[in-house]
Amino acid sequence: MPRTQPNRVTLTIDGREIEADEGTMLVDAAREGDVEIPVFCYEPKLGEPVGACRMCLVEIEGIPKLQTSCSTPVRDGMVVHTRTDQVKEAQESVVEFLLVNHPLDCPVCDKGGECPLQDISMGWGPDRNRMVDQKRHFEKPVPLSPLVAIDRERCILCYRCVRFSQEVSEDEQLQLLERGDATFVGTFDDRPYIAPFQGNITELCPVGALTSYTYRFRARPWDIEQGGSVCTLCPSQCNVSFTVRDEEVARVLARDNPEVDDGWLCDKGRYAFQAMYADDRVLGPEVTSDGHSTPASWQEAEETAAEGLASAGSRTAILVGDASNEEGYLLQRILRQALGSGDIDSRRGPGVDGDAALKLADPAITAQTSDIDTADLVIVVGTDPIQSAPSFDLRVRKAVRRNGTALAVATDRPGALEGGATEVDRFHPGGAAAFLEELAGKVKRGRAKTGLAGLIADSEQTVIVWGERIVQGAGGRAAVEALVDLSEAAGLADQEGSGLIGIPETANGRGLREVGCLPDAGPGLSPTGPGRDAGAIREGLESGELEAVVLFGVDPIRDLPDPEGWRRALEAAGHVVAFSLARNESTEFADVLLPLESHAEKDGTVTHPDGRIQRVRPSARRPGEVRPVWQVLTELAAMLGSSTGITSTPEALEAVASAVPFYAGLTDSEIGGRGVRWQERPAASDLGSPSPDLTLYATAPGPFSPLGSGAAGSEADDLPGSFEGGGSGVDDAGVVPPEESTSSPPTPTNGQLLLGTYPNLWADQVVESSPALRFLVPAQRLEVSGPDATRLGLSTGDEVSVRSGEESVNARVAVRAAMPEGACFLIEGTPADNGNRVAGEDGGPTLVEIGPPEVRLELVTAGGGPEGDEAA
Amino acid sequence: MSVRPEEITVVPRGPEPGGKGGAYRAFGETLRGLRTTMSQMFTKPVTIQYPEEKTPVYPRFRGRHRLHRFEDTGLEKCVGCSLCAAACPAQCIRVVAAENDPENRVSAGERYAAVYEINLARCIFCGYCELACPFDAITMGHDYEMADYNRSDLIFTKEMLLAEPIERAPLRREGE
Ligand code: SF4
Ligand code: SF4
Ligand code: FES
Repeated sequence: MPRTQPNRVTLTIDGREIEADEGTMLVDAAREGDVEIPVFCYEPKLGEPVGACRMCLVEIEGIPKLQTSCSTPVRDGMVVHTRTDQVKEAQESVVEFLLVNHPLDCPVCDKGGECPLQDISMGWGPDRNRMVDQKRHFEKPVPLSPLVAIDRERCILCYRCVRFSQEVSEDEQLQLLERGDATFVGTFDDRPYIAPFQGNITELCPVGALTSYTYRFRARPWDIEQGGSVCTLCPSQCNVSFTVRDEEVARVLARDNPEVDDGWLCDKGRYAFQAMYADDRVLGPEVTSDGHSTPASWQEAEETAAEGLASAGSRTAILVGDASNEEGYLLQRILRQALGSGDIDSRRGPGVDGDAALKLADPAITAQTSDIDTADLVIVVGTDPIQSAPSFDLRVRKAVRRNGTALAVATDRPGALEGGATEVDRFHPGGAAAFLEELAGKVKRGRAKTGLAGLIADSEQTVIVWGERIVQGAGGRAAVEALVDLSEAAGLADQEGSGLIGIPETANGRGLREVGCLPDAGPGLSPTGPGRDAGAIREGLESGELEAVVLFGVDPIRDLPDPEGWRRALEAAGHVVAFSLARNESTEFADVLLPLESHAEKDGTVTHPDGRIQRVRPSARRPGEVRPVWQVLTELAAMLGSSTGITSTPEALEAVASAVPFYAGLTDSEIGGRGVRWQERPAASDLGSPSPDLTLYATAPGPFSPLGSGAAGSEADDLPGSFEGGGSGVDDAGVVPPEESTSSPPTPTNGQLLLGTYPNLWADQVVESSPALRFLVPAQRLEVSGPDATRLGLSTGDEVSVRSGEESVNARVAVRAAMPEGACFLIEGTPADNGNRVAGEDGGPTLVEIGPPEVRLELVTAGGGPEGDEAA
Repeated sequence: MSVRPEEITVVPRGPEPGGKGGAYRAFGETLRGLRTTMSQMFTKPVTIQYPEEKTPVYPRFRGRHRLHRFEDTGLEKCVGCSLCAAACPAQCIRVVAAENDPENRVSAGERYAAVYEINLARCIFCGYCELACPFDAITMGHDYEMADYNRSDLIFTKEMLLAEPIERAPLRREGE
């Protein structure tokens, strides 16, 4: 379904000649022509109009009865009247009718002042209510869920919330119960409404019937200001608008951007703002001396940090987690230019490296998020969007429900999208490479009629949404190759609107690697001398080869594989500089602790998984001593002897834009409020040309070589040429497959299971620090298949221990259908019993033994040290 | 250009100095003035011995605000709706609302004002807040003595506004 250009038609509304696309609803056409027609139930985001409230009645010449303009498409030559006596009477009656049962408690109602019902009553309603009887009464306010309160007296039964639950998030929990004037919105059996997108209904409700507990009575519309920004809590990077009262964020609203989020937010983005004001937030710099961490001045803290880094010199490494493009750029510049080291990583495991990233960045094989809407086929590979980038989940559901897009899901762990999928394929943890290789082969041979390969052959526009974790572990490199092969075989490059969208592990994963936070690639993905990746940094610190480490927005003891190894590594490190939003286990080891800004305070840019560069803009006050981080980094750079010359945020962006060839010339005003995809800018043709920054790093004091050495060097020389002219021809001839190109994961033997880990949306420190969301923090659970459960004598709810080598964690068993046999899954980054402890060291799959419950009890009592701590 | 008679203004001139006219001017006018003085010497003085004595105010005089409680339940009338803050042209009202705990109610509605402050240094005593309030929770009182040594003391909190004020300004009686 390629996008088609609709015909234009001309119609007359209230005597004005208006031009509109064929098929638009009358009410939208009218708005374009500056005629306002009041609506309640119409909300295009919810899909087809339902015509439930009758507020939008208009007179159309030639049709005797009034028509609902929200569900009447425009036709050429239509003559419409919105202000005749007949229409006026209808509007007044509808408003009066709605107000029959609506309590007029506007002064205590949170919606007061921003309420469509108030506005429409003022604008189109009668000025008197003839109702003298009792209004209907309900118990109020009652919790609909732990996050949302419902006041059923105020509800006008537009059923927007019900439609959202049924047709957008498809959790199907909200219902209209009872009939007639006793109708109310509720859930089956009054169970709490638990779903990851429920906060959206508070924004949809046109009256004050649905309110968030976090914002109830916090402010009125005239007490607040709105500040637009981007949510950087996950890679979806939804556009948000912060409601700020007294310079603090009080609420988060969606800021519709059809190219990014379609106007929806997940509950993490909406409610985790509370973490900004939690007790664990780092509010000022701290310096540790004699084992005691004490608050310090910025000057002192920066000097201590710089001293430590300078003395470690090229034996310094940097780990980046959540950072803006500017911060990431400055960090790698400090490391490469001032310290002469190349040991920087922003990934969880050895995932997409510089070379692979360059191939995958090819604009011809990259899809844009809104391409999902129009695609014939969407393939979701190795990711469960609801856990790692929730707004993609809604996007895919929308395509399937409204546009009849075929959906294929190929994952190791059964995910949320499978219900609507045409085709579900399952591979073992770590088996993505083999699966993709086979698929690419089938597609290439072109004989397949059935299965996924058949679907690919049948569809023109194909979008592949893939999770970057499939490239972790031993078969990682092969998976990237297979993916590029597949996109070539499926002809994604030649088809408009087809392509890949990779969901990175961290919110700005794509931006960070494009600005140079990879061990083997500098800004603009220019190959540099190979540095250590995250795992090697851990080993280097532990063995003493590395002296100092900078942790930037990352808690390796929680977020990365092998937390115990990281604990040892940080203990062994001579100098740890931690930039962190909040206190965590890793910051305990910090010699210098520096605060980070939250996404409501930061000024910078981030890059969306589809290459859209967006602006994060400050709207709230930085609490405590928190300072702009780019400033701190430029000062650190200057102290380390490499002045950056950056004195403002626009200059920081300018530095990034001139270092990354395909971002060249980017400015704040070009990015604007909607962002801009770099693939659509002329500079995109510079993808693959070396960054001018490399000359800066050439003078670095340490052993780090900007142009790499050996194979990497020769590849670097080839690169500019091979990507010339827009880079449509991906050339993989020169790629040397890594040693373990065979991607078969270890085979489980008697009693063992192959463990895969997955990120859980709620297993995150910001969730724990947000009181409203705390009820969602997951306890560790072990997902196993039915046959395995029978074989091992497990049933749902059993407590077991999962052991891999020295490490073990406790979990409750959840037997799931559709699980691949022989595999099991744990959650990464849970507050207790972190799945990362037993995960493979490189983030890939590993073999585990499931201990029977009695063994577990013994373990809890006998297993001292960290095990005991966490169990307590 | 000829001058029309109605355009002519006649300016009377005083008598020439010296002579009778001069004497009248020296003493006559002084005596006339003295007569006023003498006549006032025996009337009741209008000056008030402020601050021992105070001018009474009219019943609708707009003095320092007061917040009210329901007489029967003792609950605060204010529900913290912030409408007064919205109406205030001097932006001197700050309301931060909170949800009532049904066990321990503060106000009669779902919400109450957790913080209610009026900065009297900025207030222009227009009474718009009183007009805006849907619950008659805030009214303008009669107190006009608000001088203080410190600007921050002019920020009146909810407790100060709810407290029974020391009635210092007498009310003007009917017909006074
Ligand atoms: S609760 Fe709100 S959104 Fe839901 S039906 Fe009632 S008025 Fe509409
Ligand atoms: S005094 Fe009246 S207007 Fe002001 S917040 Fe209280 S109830 Fe609302
Ligand atoms: S908006 Fe048209 S019927 Fe509700």
